[in-house]
Amino acid sequence: MSDTSRPGPVTPAPDAPAGQAADSGTAGPSVPESAASKPSAPAAVPDAHAADTDTEPAASATPAEPSAAEPPEPPTAVRPTWLRARPRPRAYAWVALSLLLLALPFYLDRFWLQAGLFAMAAAIGAIGLNLLTGATGQLSMGHAFFLAVGAYGYCVLAGGNEVESGHQLTGFGLPTWLAAVLAVCLAGLAGGVFSPIAGRLRGAYLGIATLALIFVGQHVLFNARDLTGGFNGRSVPPLSLFGFDFDDAELVVAAVPFQSMEKLWYVALVALLACGLFARGVLRGRPGRAMNALRDHRIAAGVMGVPVARYRAAVFVLSSMYAGLAGVLLALVFQRTVPEYFGMILSLEYLAMIVIGGLGTVAGAVVGAVFVSLLPQVLTRWSDALPLVSAPGTGGVSPGEASRYLYGAAVVAVVLFLPGGLTRLVPSSREKK
Amino acid sequence: MTTFTELLLGGLSMGSVYALIALGFVVIFKATEVVNFAHASLLLAGGYVTAVLHDDLGFWPALAVGIAGAAVVGSAVDFLVMRRYRGSDHSVLAIVTIGVDILLTTELTRLIGTDVMALGDPWGDRVVNLGEITIAQTRIAAFAAAALLITAFLLAFRYTSWGVAMRAAAENPQTAALMGVRLGRVSMSAWAVAGALAAVAALFLTVFPTPGLERATSLAALKAFPAAILGGLDSTTGALAGGLIVGVTESFATGYQSELTFLGGGIGDLAPYLVMLLVLLARPAGLFGTKELARV
Amino acid sequence: MKSRTYAAVLAVLALTVTAGCSSKAASGDGDTKGAGGVKTGKGVSDKTITLGVLTDMTGVYASLGKSVTQAQQLWAKQTNAAGGICDRKIELTVRDHGYDPQKAVAGYTELEPKVLGFAQFIGSPFVAAVEQRIDGQNKGLVLPQAWSASLLGSPYIRVIGATYDIETINAVDYLLAEKRIAKGDKIGHVFFEGDYGENALAGSRYAAKQAGLTVVEQKIKPTDNDMSAQVAALKKAGVKAILLSAGPRQAASLVGVAAAGGFNVPVIGNNSAFAPQLLATPAGPALAKDFYIAASTLPIGAPDAGPAKLAKEYKAAYPKDGLDNGVVAGYTAASVFGEALKKACDSKDLTREGVDKALLTLNKYESDFGITHDFSDPAAPSTRKSLIMKPDKSVPGGLKVVRPATAAKAADSYKPSAG
Repeated sequence: MSDTSRPGPVTPAPDAPAGQAADSGTAGPSVPESAASKPSAPAAVPDAHAADTDTEPAASATPAEPSAAEPPEPPTAVRPTWLRARPRPRAYAWVALSLLLLALPFYLDRFWLQAGLFAMAAAIGAIGLNLLTGATGQLSMGHAFFLAVGAYGYCVLAGGNEVESGHQLTGFGLPTWLAAVLAVCLAGLAGGVFSPIAGRLRGAYLGIATLALIFVGQHVLFNARDLTGGFNGRSVPPLSLFGFDFDDAELVVAAVPFQSMEKLWYVALVALLACGLFARGVLRGRPGRAMNALRDHRIAAGVMGVPVARYRAAVFVLSSMYAGLAGVLLALVFQRTVPEYFGMILSLEYLAMIVIGGLGTVAGAVVGAVFVSLLPQVLTRWSDALPLVSAPGTGGVSPGEASRYLYGAAVVAVVLFLPGGLTRLVPSSREKK
Repeated sequence: MTTFTELLLGGLSMGSVYALIALGFVVIFKATEVVNFAHASLLLAGGYVTAVLHDDLGFWPALAVGIAGAAVVGSAVDFLVMRRYRGSDHSVLAIVTIGVDILLTTELTRLIGTDVMALGDPWGDRVVNLGEITIAQTRIAAFAAAALLITAFLLAFRYTSWGVAMRAAAENPQTAALMGVRLGRVSMSAWAVAGALAAVAALFLTVFPTPGLERATSLAALKAFPAAILGGLDSTTGALAGGLIVGVTESFATGYQSELTFLGGGIGDLAPYLVMLLVLLARPAGLFGTKELARV
Repeated sequence: MKSRTYAAVLAVLALTVTAGCSSKAASGDGDTKGAGGVKTGKGVSDKTITLGVLTDMTGVYASLGKSVTQAQQLWAKQTNAAGGICDRKIELTVRDHGYDPQKAVAGYTELEPKVLGFAQFIGSPFVAAVEQRIDGQNKGLVLPQAWSASLLGSPYIRVIGATYDIETINAVDYLLAEKRIAKGDKIGHVFFEGDYGENALAGSRYAAKQAGLTVVEQKIKPTDNDMSAQVAALKKAGVKAILLSAGPRQAASLVGVAAAGGFNVPVIGNNSAFAPQLLATPAGPALAKDFYIAASTLPIGAPDAGPAKLAKEYKAAYPKDGLDNGVVAGYTAASVFGEALKKACDSKDLTREGVDKALLTLNKYESDFGITHDFSDPAAPSTRKSLIMKPDKSVPGGLKVVRPATAAKAADSYKPSAG
C-alpha cells in the first residue's frame, strides 16, 4: 500500500477533504452509502454471490492481495453531494480544524510537535487495529510486532552497511521513500505469513497466539544484531522525498525555522489523512459490512457468502500494513529504533486506544490514539499545576502513574458507560437511522 | 543425567504452579466466556497481602488472608465491572480486563515500590538431596500444594452442586438459567476461585529460588497464558497439561541454552510460546479444547 | 462554494503572515552576556542554572532512579545553601520516564531547550536514541547513569567511573589475586541480554583470554527471577567461580540456589547487582558469605569521610528511604557537573560549550568516594580502577570494602570498543 507517496483521493482544494468528510457524515444515510458501494460491487468481493456454505475450508485460504480492497470513494462520486449540501457548522469546524493542524508547526515547540507526531503515528496504527479488532472482531495483542517490522524494516532497507557502537550493521541503502513503501509491504507480508495461524484461530486463542509474536519479535530484535543493532537499536536515516530531506537541517519558512519535526508533521498529516480515508472507504463499503458480519456472526456471514477465511486473512494483512506505516513514522520521529519500545505494553496501549475512542470506526481510532498518546505528556508537563499529581521525586502519585490510572479507568468506564467510545460524545445525524 | 532430572523436576514443579494460574484462567473462561487478562494483577494482589501481613499474623494466617483477599478482589472485579457490561462481545470484555489490569497493577506496583518483600514461608532455602539430585523444599511444597488444590477443584467440579451449576452454565447459559442456575453467582464464584488459586501461585512464585515479591512478579502470570491456550481454554485437564508442558519446556530451554545457542541466547522465555504456536497450528482449539464443529 | 475556497485561501495567507509573529520565529537563543560578565546560553539566567534529570522512578530501575535523584536533589540543596555556583542557584527539573522509550525521548525533547545539561539520564538505549541530537545540535553535557562502553566516545555524553567491561576485568583479577581461580579453570558468567550484560561479557572474555580461563556463558532476561536452571547448568560445566552481570534479584536467587545446593563457588557481580533490601530476604545469609561486588565508588556505609558525611545528610533529608549505592552514584555525578560548572564560571563561560570544555580540563578530579577521575579523554572511561566490596548486614547500605580501588593489569591494557 503506498498511500503515503500517492496523493490519494484528496482533491487539490485545501478544504476538500474536510468538507468531504463532513458532508458524507451529515447528508443523510442514503446518498453516501450508494456512492460508496457503487465502485466496489464488481471488484472487491469476487465471490460474494457464491452462497454455498462450504466453499472455503479454512486451511486452504490464501491471503488476498490488499489491493483487492477497493479504493475509497473517488471524489467524482462524492462531488455532487458535496455541492448540493449547504454549508453547515460541522463543515466549518472541519475547515477550522484542518487549518489549525496545518498551522501548528509554525507555533508549537519541538516537544509538542513530537508529541503530536507520536499521536498521529499511533492514530495510523490504531486505525489498522480497529479494522482488525474493532470491525472484524479479531483480537490482536501482537500489533507492536508489526510496528516493529515497519520501523526496523525501514531502517534496514534505507540504512547502509555501517558500523554503529562497534558493530557492523547490514543495510540495503535503498532510496528512503522506496524503503518506506517496502517496509509497509514487509509488515503486510509478515501479517500474511502469520495468517495460517490467524485464519484458523478466534477470540482469545488468536489474542494469545498474537502475544507470542511480541515475544518472538523482541527475541529477534535483541539477537539479530546485524540487522537490528541489538539492544541499542539502529539509527534511522531521515526520509527524503523528491530530493527534499526531512532531517534536522534548518529550513526557514515564513521566518520560522523548520527542522525534522516540522517537516515530518506534514508527511504525517498526509499519511494519516490518506490512511483514514482509505479505511473509511473500506469500512463503509461492502468489505466493511462483510467484516462486521464476520464479527457479529461468523457462521451466518459464511452462509451469506462472505469468504470467511480469505476475508480474515486479508484484514489481518491490511491491519499489519497500517501498523507497518505507523512503525515507519515512529522510527522517523524517534530517529532511532530501540527494541524495548515494541513490547507488550505498546500492544495493550493500542487496544486501549481503540476501545477508548470507539471500536470499529476511523474517528474512534484517531480520538483514542490522541487521548492515550497525549495524556502522559500533558500530565508530565503540567504535573506541578495539577492536584493529586506530584512531580517525580516528591512522593505521591507521579505523572506516569496518574496517566496509567486515567487510561486504565477510561477503558473500563468507556465500555461500561459509553459503549461506542468517546466519539459517541459528538452526536452525528447518522445515528438517527 | 543428574542435570536432566533436576531440570525435569524443577520444570514439573514450576509447571504445577503455572497450572494453578491457568486453571483459574480456564474457570473464568468456562463460566463467563471472558478471557481474563487481569489475572496477573489478582496474583500480585494475593501475594502483596500475604507479604504485608506475615510479620504480624504469622505465615499461615497471612496466607489465608492473602487467598481470601485475592478472591475478594476477583469477585469485586466481576461484580463491579464485568457484570455492568451490557453488550455481548466477549473480546470487548477481554479488553476491559486489560483496563482493570492496568489499574490494579499500577496501584499495586506503587504500593510495593522498590521493595523486595519476603513472604515469610516456613521452607526457607532448605533443600532435599536425593542421591545426586538436589531440589528445594519450596519446589516440593509447590508441587504438593498444586496437586492437592487441583484434585480438590476437579472433585468439587465433578460432584458438588456448585460444580454442576458451573458446568451447566458453561454448557449453555440460557438453559442453565432457565433451570434455576444463578449465573451471577456462578461467574462471581469463578472469579473468586481464580483469585484464590492465583494467590497460592503467587506464594510459590516468590519463595526461595526467587528473591521475593516485587513489582515484576506479575509477569510470571504471562506464562500461564500459553499454558491455558495450548491445553485448550475450556478444558481443566488442558490447563493442567498446559501448565506442566510450559514449566518443563521453560526449564529445559533455560538449562540447555548453551546447547541451543543457534537460536540466540535467553530462549527460555520464548520457548513456551513457540510450543504453543506449534500446537495451535495442529490443533486450533488446543490439546484438550472443544473443537468447533461449524465449518464455513 | 467559491466563497469558501476564497476564505480558505485567505486564511492560509493570513496564517503564513502571522507565522512571522510566532514565538518560534527568529528565535533569539544566541549566547548572551549575563550577570558578572559571564557568557551564558540555554538553561542559565542571571539567577539560576537549570539542569535536567531524566530518571526512572516507576519502571524497572525505580530503586536506582529514586536514590540517584534524591541524592542529586540533596546536592542541589546543599550547593544552593552554600551560595550556589557562579552566584546562581542550581535548579533541577526532574522527569520520570518509567523506562519507556517514548517518554524518555519526549522528556529529553521537552527539557533540552530549557536546561544547560543533564545531571542524570537513566537508560543507555535512550541515551543512544538521542545521541545524534546531543552530538549534532544540542551539545549539552549529559551524565548517564549507566556504565556501558558503547556510551564512550562522545565529548558530551560522559560516563563517570569504570565501564562494565573494565569492572568485570577487575572482578576477575580479584578472584585470581585471591587464588580462588587459576589458569585453566572455567568461570561462569550470567548476564542480562542488552547493553549492560553484553558489555560486561566483552570484559570477561578479554580477562579470561589474558589469564587462560574459559568463560561459560548464561544469558538471561531481566524478567528471569529464578536462577535454578542457570546454576544447574554451571554446576554441570564445573565452573570455579561465577560472574554476575544482572540485577539484585538475580543475585539473590543465584547465590541462594548455589549455596542451598552445596555448590560453593565465589560469585562476583557488577555494581548494579546488589541492593541492600536483599539482605532481609531468605538469601541474605548466603549473600553475606561468598558474594562480592565490583564498583567505582566507595559504598555508602564506608567509614571514610565522604560516604559517612553523605550518609548522615541523606538520612536527615530522606529519613524514610534506605541508603544504597545509587545515592553515592547520584551525588558523585552531580558533584562532577558542579565542578565543571565552577571551572566554566572561572573562565567566564557558562554556555554549553564552556561547560563541555571545562569538563575536559578535569583530569584529576578527586571525588570524595575513593576514586580519582580523569575526564580529559572522551573515548576512555574516567577511571580504570574498581573497588571490591562484600555484603555486610551491620553497615548502612549493606556493603563493606574488601579491596580498595585497584586497576588490574588486564584492565589497563584493555581497549574498550567505543561507540
